[in-house]
Amino acid sequence: MSNITMRELKEDIRTGLKTKELVLSMGPQHPSTHGVLRLVLELDGETVVKCTPYVGYLHRGTEKLCEHRTYLNALPLSDRLDYIVSMANNVGYVLAVERLFGIEAPPRAKYIRTIVSEMARLSGHLLWIATHALDIGAMTVFLYSFREREWLLDLFEHLCGARLTTSYPRIGGVRNDVTEEFLDSLYEFTEEFPRRIEEYETLIDQNRIWLQRTKGIGVISAEEAINWGLTGPVLRGSGVPYDVRKFAPYDAYPWVDFEVPVGKNGDVYDRYKVRMQEMRQSNRIIKQCIERMPKGPVMAPDAPKFTLPPKEKVMSEMESLIHQFVLITKGPIAAPEGEIYSAIEAPKGELGFYIVSDGTGRPYRLRLRSPSFVHASVLPRLCEGHLVADVIANIGTIDIVLGECDR
Amino acid sequence: MRLKELIQKVLFIEILKGMALTLSRLFTRPVTRQYPEEKKQALPGFRGLHALARRPDGTARCVGCGLCAAICPSECIHVYTTEGPDHQKIVERYEIEVLRCVYCALCVEACPFQAIALTEHYEYANYSRDDFYMTKEKLLENWDKYMAGKKGEEYFKRFWHPLENDFREYEGQPIFDPERYKRRKGKIRDIRGEWLIYNGNGRRQ
Ligand code: SF4
Ligand code: SF4
Repeated sequence: MSNITMRELKEDIRTGLKTKELVLSMGPQHPSTHGVLRLVLELDGETVVKCTPYVGYLHRGTEKLCEHRTYLNALPLSDRLDYIVSMANNVGYVLAVERLFGIEAPPRAKYIRTIVSEMARLSGHLLWIATHALDIGAMTVFLYSFREREWLLDLFEHLCGARLTTSYPRIGGVRNDVTEEFLDSLYEFTEEFPRRIEEYETLIDQNRIWLQRTKGIGVISAEEAINWGLTGPVLRGSGVPYDVRKFAPYDAYPWVDFEVPVGKNGDVYDRYKVRMQEMRQSNRIIKQCIERMPKGPVMAPDAPKFTLPPKEKVMSEMESLIHQFVLITKGPIAAPEGEIYSAIEAPKGELGFYIVSDGTGRPYRLRLRSPSFVHASVLPRLCEGHLVADVIANIGTIDIVLGECDR
Repeated sequence: MRLKELIQKVLFIEILKGMALTLSRLFTRPVTRQYPEEKKQALPGFRGLHALARRPDGTARCVGCGLCAAICPSECIHVYTTEGPDHQKIVERYEIEVLRCVYCALCVEACPFQAIALTEHYEYANYSRDDFYMTKEKLLENWDKYMAGKKGEEYFKRFWHPLENDFREYEGQPIFDPERYKRRKGKIRDIRGEWLIYNGNGRRQ
């Protein structure tokens, strides 16, 4: 802040008032920074001259913790990356480990995993529209989208016993099968949901305050977005149709049709539009997956060295009991040596896991490429030269979650 | 086109539409719940407070193998065993620091004897930290309180990686059936008595 001495003050009065830049620390306890992000803003009046993000307040050492855990044991850590959409992180993690081990989940498990990751995308985007609109001043959307999110969370609870920290997929499949109620209730959701999206759009899509706060704010061109390493809806808002689900399909994505919505101008409004369209596409994916889901196993049946044997076998067969003991105490010791990078399209962008294995039951090194971290780095580019009020819109539009950013 | 836009601007059409929507919501049933008075029943398979399973004769099913302690990601299970008179293993102490638990349920998945369970109890606020240090006795009590009888048996069969998930028995597996869906649409929440699923329009009943 300005420490003006008496002499300076006198000097000022003599020569006319001198203006100084004001340093404002926004966060880490600011409600619209969506967690513990701290931005140090240098202001000239209401204009941001310089913006410096500080991250790391939620650092828990996830990458290091993984090195001391067996592959199965590290799964709950992935829940806590982007805690709003933990299903998607779980899927990303198990997929990376499966690719490392060279095993594949059976088709039914793939469909289930696709369904749950799209449900996670919906619940993530619902929370995003809720908080983003709330930050900009539209309160009703917040209440409406939580209504739908509750339905999804209830389904998660029914499926795996937890609403947020799900830990549901397993290396080689998923933990337990879905039920009839789950399928029917989710199908009902997919029939109902497009109408609900229209409700949100009725409230804000054409609203003049919303348009003024979002159009032409935080513009980033396609070229620049690529250079900054942006992914996900933030990149697609600038018109680049990059989506991991299309470029390196995983799970059941190659078997369903969907489109990748893109924006044009790369401003806050376009990114909002992209996410709304994405919710419609997710809805379509879920519907197709439910309709096409085949019968079959939900755990890879031919990988006893990597997946826990079923409970009944453990209780009756010596061999399975031994597998159970070894897998839990030492981890999958048949893990091949090598390294792998595997990415999924998480709701926020490309979530990558780079695993180096030295052939023991634990990863030698696990590196996370989290979209939120990359997106937080673009904040100065978006905010500098704009008004303080737009900082809020910009934080909302890049949709960061600090759990994932700080890891 | 320009004229239409102008009319929209002057007459606040989009704002009126939004108002109409919010007003119409005044006449629907509320979706919120008055929490402490109106409790939410957790669905079966919920991962809440721990319990140690009992055998039909009342003793604990746990044999003290320590697998749950080995897999626990937050390392909050402590198992202490000693040797009995006939060289059998006796579980002397079995303790869980509930405050450190992350409710991942890997302990349930790891246990080869179906001896530990997570119950549907989720309200465990208390006045002292010691109340969250669960000893074996407390855990067995939890079983009696929340999981006694058939419920406990069902729990393991249904949720914890049962055999039909891996092999055979695909006959009864649920798949989507449009006919069934048509019949059940809108009343999925009362299909099976206790299996309540919120249908997004009103309160869970
Ligand atoms: S639920 Fe998870 S964290 Fe809690 S005691 Fe069991 S294994 Fe440990
Ligand atoms: S609860 Fe199960 S896994 Fe844990 S010590 Fe007892 S028998 Fe072993």
